[in-house]
Amino acid sequence: MYNEQAFINDGLIPGYIIESSTNFLQECKGMQPKHGVWANICGSDLIRDKDGKFYVLEDNLRVPSGVSYMIENRVITKKVFPELLQDLDVLPVDDYPAHLFEMLVSVAPDYVDVPRIAVLTPGIYNSAYFEHTFLAQQIGAELVEGADLVVQDDDCVYMRTINGLERVDVIYRRIDDQFLDPEVFRKDSVLGVKGLLRAWKKGNVALVNAPGSGVADDKVVYAYVPDMIKYYLHEEPILPNVPTYLCSDPQQLDYVLKHLSELVVKPANESGGYGMLVGPHAKPEEIEHFREVIAINPRNYIAQPTIALSTCPTLCGNRLEPRHVDLRPFILQGEHSYVTAGGLTYVAMKKGSLVVNSSQGGGSKDTWVINTGA
Amino acid sequence: MLSRSAERLYWLGRYVERSENTARLISVYMSLMFDLPMNMEISWHNLLTIFGAQHTFAQLYDAVNEQNVMHFLLTDGNHDGSLFSSLSYARENIRTSRELMPDEAWQQVNEMYLLIRDKTESADNRRGRVVLLNEIMRGCQRFTGFLAGAMSQDDAFRFIKLGRNIERADMTTRILDIGSVLLAEDRSDKLRQYENTLWINVLKSLSALLMYRKHRRLRISSGDVLDYLIKDHDFPRSVVHCINEVKACYRFLPRSNGMADNLNQLSAALVAIDFYQITPQGLHNLLDNIQLRLCETHNQITLTWFLKLSQQ
Repeated sequence: MYNEQAFINDGLIPGYIIESSTNFLQECKGMQPKHGVWANICGSDLIRDKDGKFYVLEDNLRVPSGVSYMIENRVITKKVFPELLQDLDVLPVDDYPAHLFEMLVSVAPDYVDVPRIAVLTPGIYNSAYFEHTFLAQQIGAELVEGADLVVQDDDCVYMRTINGLERVDVIYRRIDDQFLDPEVFRKDSVLGVKGLLRAWKKGNVALVNAPGSGVADDKVVYAYVPDMIKYYLHEEPILPNVPTYLCSDPQQLDYVLKHLSELVVKPANESGGYGMLVGPHAKPEEIEHFREVIAINPRNYIAQPTIALSTCPTLCGNRLEPRHVDLRPFILQGEHSYVTAGGLTYVAMKKGSLVVNSSQGGGSKDTWVINTGA
Repeated sequence: MLSRSAERLYWLGRYVERSENTARLISVYMSLMFDLPMNMEISWHNLLTIFGAQHTFAQLYDAVNEQNVMHFLLTDGNHDGSLFSSLSYARENIRTSRELMPDEAWQQVNEMYLLIRDKTESADNRRGRVVLLNEIMRGCQRFTGFLAGAMSQDDAFRFIKLGRNIERADMTTRILDIGSVLLAEDRSDKLRQYENTLWINVLKSLSALLMYRKHRRLRISSGDVLDYLIKDHDFPRSVVHCINEVKACYRFLPRSNGMADNLNQLSAALVAIDFYQITPQGLHNLLDNIQLRLCETHNQITLTWFLKLSQQ
């Protein structure tokens, strides 16, 4: 997308869809991150429909969170059900930090032997701050805020230490593109580092995930991912997408507007379950509101059939009740790729709710992949 | 290590030490007040003087009585120097430094914070207060223990140690300032009668009674107590010991050239003083001077190692 754009040139996706995505960054054109990987860390949300089949609900390629809860949940389960875990041969998930570390080392600039790695956090008031600390601790990286870093005239990134300035080679950033570098993006950002993009483009520092990788996180682009898999890998996707209607297409838009009360409508570039419409659960005035906002900016919306997310017994008060869940395995890609044997299961704590995001009051569950020897 | 982390650890060291000192001083003071007769020179207001908080107190409360002073020093969130505030700051600093130390240390500080936050009322009655203060003192010691037993004695550890020892020396001088009341020529007969008890309590409030007995083997006298708590090389809360601990950290930390000069001058001045002859005013001035030197050391540490505001 940022180089040859073969997928566009061969007519598989209209160019304007990419160019108009709010996550597409002109500044990244021509960049070639190491190993050809932009999204080194990905959290894909999987769901199971009533037919028992797994579908990919969405891909999170910007700064997916939750992996620390996956690990902590397992720690708790081990304490509560030690016998079960031993007898069932459950595959471990706590090797994630080791793989994360390997991946981060593998993307360091070539001339560095022992790279210095930093986790860049927006700070203590971010809801995922615990995870930033946790991961920094687990991989032995420095946890830094924007003010700790400085880009010098040599276009290299340094951190302010008790020894003076020290070079940083790899930054696992947990702040959004728009806040990364006030020199290029939002001028009012106090979270970012002036000149960071300049240093990255010069190849003096690796940014994980690469700026601009969020374009593949756009829910309109998501609809084209199965075609991309066929086009680039000459394979069929193993897991299908959830059928998706693109409001940018007049025919599909027409269908969506006629069936709003049956569909789930999502904005293309939000995350955390904000700004969604769940048609069957919505009040008439909410549906009317969406009819208006979709008409104003159809490119920015997609719709999907309301899927009966599978449920899982969940302790509610002092009894078990069914609650809807989705599963987020984490995928790492650097020199090698790795998928967690399990993942974070998000659970909608509200009865009947299909919105599982933790920012919307969702909980989480430990999830086991059992080694059956097959 | 990041400058930001160094700064947080330094303050963590100071606030945990301050919490422990506050808890111990108040706990000793309470038991002392039960021993003393009414209407003596020593009362609740001296406690405010030790903390240097008379003005802040006057802004928030009317009467200087047990209830108000205890509330002010222990649980008042509007008072930056209260035990609750100290623990809140300690917690903020460790919460943002968790990747640098064993997890138990964080859990310990968090538990103490939650304890005082949720047990505010129990600090209002004497029995509840004693239990609470004991819990805090023990918690601070467990914290120190976790670090001693499970944390590399590296730069991170040294910044905690710097903060702890500067805070500790500062507290020792504050508590000894009560000596200027005890040494006053015009002190009442009643006070003279209880002098011994008071000096014992000074030692107790610094956990020094047992060690003093063991090492001085003399009856308790003002000169000996002052000499011991300021000049003793081995006792962890003596001023000279704290100074030496700070200097020991300097030896391993980068860019510390010349930083020990200030403290060396202070040590030299202390060695020259005869505490058996000192006047109340002389003592007061000396303690002020020590505090100024500690303040200077604090400023040097800030300038050398921490994030400068202009950089942010």
